[in-house]
Amino acid sequence: MKEFEEVSRLRERTDHLIALIGNPNVGKSTLFNRLTGMGVLTANYPGMTVGVNLGETEFAGERIGVLDLPGTYALGAVSEDQLVARRGILEAAPDVVVIILDATNLARNLYLLLQVLDLEVPAVAALNLVDEAERQGTRTDLEQLYELLGIPVVATVATRGDGLDRLMKEALELAHSPREFFPVPFYYAADIEKHVREIAAEAGRSGIKIPYGVPSRALALLLLERDEEFTGLVRGREEASGLLALVERKREEIRREHGNDAAVVIARERYGIAGSIVEAVQQRGRGEKASWGERMWEYTTDPRSGLLILAAVLVAVFAALFFGGDLLARLFGELWATLAAGPLERAVRALLGEGVLGTAVKWGLVDGVEAALSVAVPYVFTFYIILALLEDTGYLNSVAFLTDRVMHHLGLHGRAVIPLITAAGCNVPAVMGTRVLSTRRERIIASTLIVLIPCSARTAVIIGGVSRYAGWGYALLLYLILFLLVTLVGLTLNRLLPGEPSGLVMEVFPFRRPAAITVLKKTWVRFKDFVFVATPIMLGGSFLLGLLYGSGWVFKLEAPLRPVMEWWLGIPAVAGLALIFAFLRKELALQLLVVFATGTATASIGGFMAPRQIFIFALVNAVYIPCAATFAVLWKEMGWRVTLAVSAATVLLALLMGGLANLVS
Amino acid sequence: MPSEIVEEYLEAIFKLGSEGRDVGLSRLAEHLKVTPASVSETVRRMEAQGLVRYQGRGRGRGPAADSRSGGGHRHGRPSDDEPQSLRKGVTLTAKGERLARTLVRRHRLSERFLTDMLGMDWEKAHQEACKLEHALSPETEGRLADLLGNPDTCPHGHPIPDADGRIRERKLKKLSECGEDERGCIDRVEEEEPQMLQYLSSLGLLPEVEVEVKEVAPFNGPLLVKAGGAQYALGREVASKIWLRKK
Repeated sequence: MKEFEEVSRLRERTDHLIALIGNPNVGKSTLFNRLTGMGVLTANYPGMTVGVNLGETEFAGERIGVLDLPGTYALGAVSEDQLVARRGILEAAPDVVVIILDATNLARNLYLLLQVLDLEVPAVAALNLVDEAERQGTRTDLEQLYELLGIPVVATVATRGDGLDRLMKEALELAHSPREFFPVPFYYAADIEKHVREIAAEAGRSGIKIPYGVPSRALALLLLERDEEFTGLVRGREEASGLLALVERKREEIRREHGNDAAVVIARERYGIAGSIVEAVQQRGRGEKASWGERMWEYTTDPRSGLLILAAVLVAVFAALFFGGDLLARLFGELWATLAAGPLERAVRALLGEGVLGTAVKWGLVDGVEAALSVAVPYVFTFYIILALLEDTGYLNSVAFLTDRVMHHLGLHGRAVIPLITAAGCNVPAVMGTRVLSTRRERIIASTLIVLIPCSARTAVIIGGVSRYAGWGYALLLYLILFLLVTLVGLTLNRLLPGEPSGLVMEVFPFRRPAAITVLKKTWVRFKDFVFVATPIMLGGSFLLGLLYGSGWVFKLEAPLRPVMEWWLGIPAVAGLALIFAFLRKELALQLLVVFATGTATASIGGFMAPRQIFIFALVNAVYIPCAATFAVLWKEMGWRVTLAVSAATVLLALLMGGLANLVS
Repeated sequence: MPSEIVEEYLEAIFKLGSEGRDVGLSRLAEHLKVTPASVSETVRRMEAQGLVRYQGRGRGRGPAADSRSGGGHRHGRPSDDEPQSLRKGVTLTAKGERLARTLVRRHRLSERFLTDMLGMDWEKAHQEACKLEHALSPETEGRLADLLGNPDTCPHGHPIPDADGRIRERKLKKLSECGEDERGCIDRVEEEEPQMLQYLSSLGLLPEVEVEVKEVAPFNGPLLVKAGGAQYALGREVASKIWLRKK
């Protein structure tokens, strides 16, 4: 349990722990937010980026901890969402699992419920979106559903908060008397059950330690389905060889009998049960005419109007970043400068003097924070709000659909668009976000492209430097070049790397109006992650720079750079220094340039660099080597080989392109 | 009239062959749960009776690989579509094929009878049918079929050949080749990637599920497919792994 400390702490300070689980888009987060309010924590399993949200609520005088597990269609090991959701149930061992069902698509939601019940954990069902279902003419007989499942079922409309009290009441009742939980047992086809019994018996005989202590029937099913995690956990043990051999024989037998893989056969059985339940409890309506949300989907995925809308959205995103980010940047910068920077600077000077250490601390503390406030925070924060909006309306789904084919040429599929767009905010979460991609090949391609996409820090250099001192035409040209570069690199990698792009499989939802609270919460949770990863590096980097600057060493590094910078790239050697230190933080490139410009007494960048030099400078800065934080996260996610290869390749590319630009201009 | 053992072999070769893979001696031995030595002995005897052909290892390699990568033909495309001689391993001659189909028909009819009429479970019915199939005369077979109302499939969903041994051809089409508003029933999903297969299964994109194509993105873009109560965007390469049975 050590690795999941937040959950144990939550468990300690509350009376009961409940976990929410459900398909994506059933209103689980809305329900969670309704229950818990704003105080949310996220907990990540080591090596997992999909987080579990933790919250607290009070009901009938008792404190209740709530786990919001990632939305998932199944409890398998096929994707990270599934794994995290499953561990949330098995490892965190909540007192009650609340499974949220979508009344408009009950069969598929019951599939997940059957998997939860196979694990034999106490569960309560919330039938959500009943209003939506009724609008479509679908009525559900709750009494009958309860009869068939044997677990409490409560109708809810999470957006209005209807039914939540009853839901909590049922959940608490179950938490108080877990022994009085008698779900109707479900049996799959007789021959499958027979195989399951034999495997379960063998598992008991073999004396292996059963992973997570799941019931032996559940273990047998998971092994038959060849669940990666469970098979892997069992395989490591010597005493399990007989068990695994038996499983293999049974899988062969099932394939022979049913003509399909055992996983498919079991899924079919579950869907069979789910379907017969739905038939008994629901009268399906005819379904009404295309709603607003469905029409929006059509407009946004139609190749003509869709591309226009995409272009408009991208322009709007950049405009919002440009103006909104800029506004915030100024605001924060001013606030910091007037309120904190002065006194802090004086304090540092008084304590440490104006020596090397004083300068270093001042750079780290005062300038580092200011840089964070005026570059990272405003642009990244603005970007995350936009991203959450795009996600929650469902627009990103349309983009994935629209761009799937194009992405294919880059060796990716439509869903990769999401991390690539995230990259324009910050590369760090984007690299983490490549986990939505299923193969390593895709992750390598996507990570490489992400590194080349200008993040908000590089945008700050482009907008604040190039656009300001060289004109917006240069800035636009730069974006165009970077866009072409990303495309070319994608095409090349797709050719070079062995293997094939995998396919897009994604559920498509009608458009919805995003809920402000969910958007804000999402933004906050992501932003917090960013701050924790990036800020220490920023402050540390600034401190180091201060140290080098204060001691005067920084200018000693200038001479060896001269040939590359002055002869090949045609920019002042001092700008090369700025580029090197920009490894720590890309926006440092611009800030250092300003500092050096001041140092050489020209007062402004425009004074000692021509427009074309600033252009080359920003181009090299945008392409060469990912920043330290990205470097670290790449290393963690993809391993040292990929990280070093990508870094080396980008340095070469940057030098090549910079040199070419110098020749041409 | 071939012996019961030979009949079992014919049936096994037919079944394994219609899965679209080569039928090697070792696979056959494994399937019939006998030793490779006795398989090789019986196959030789059957070759002499003109029921099978046998191509050992190393011959006809290239073309065999082609017929395998064609995928997608469990029962939709009858195996006699393919040039049998190009296959590696044991293949049925026309005579062997006819006999095999009769046996398969008797087996599957018996299964239907045992499950539908006698209420036996599938597993048991299969074992019993293995014995019954050898004992049925053409007349009993015909009357049984009439009694059951000439069913198309066995309880497992495999097709029952008709009295002439023909398997009623069902139109199979890749989902990726369907146009807008086309609908059909998923017949099978190719299984190259177990992860993808499991994921599709959990979404309910399973055999026997009805799907409707709502939208096809141009330039080989993805398809928007309706299945169950939901809609899914499926890339071309995924859709090409899904075989639809048209109504």
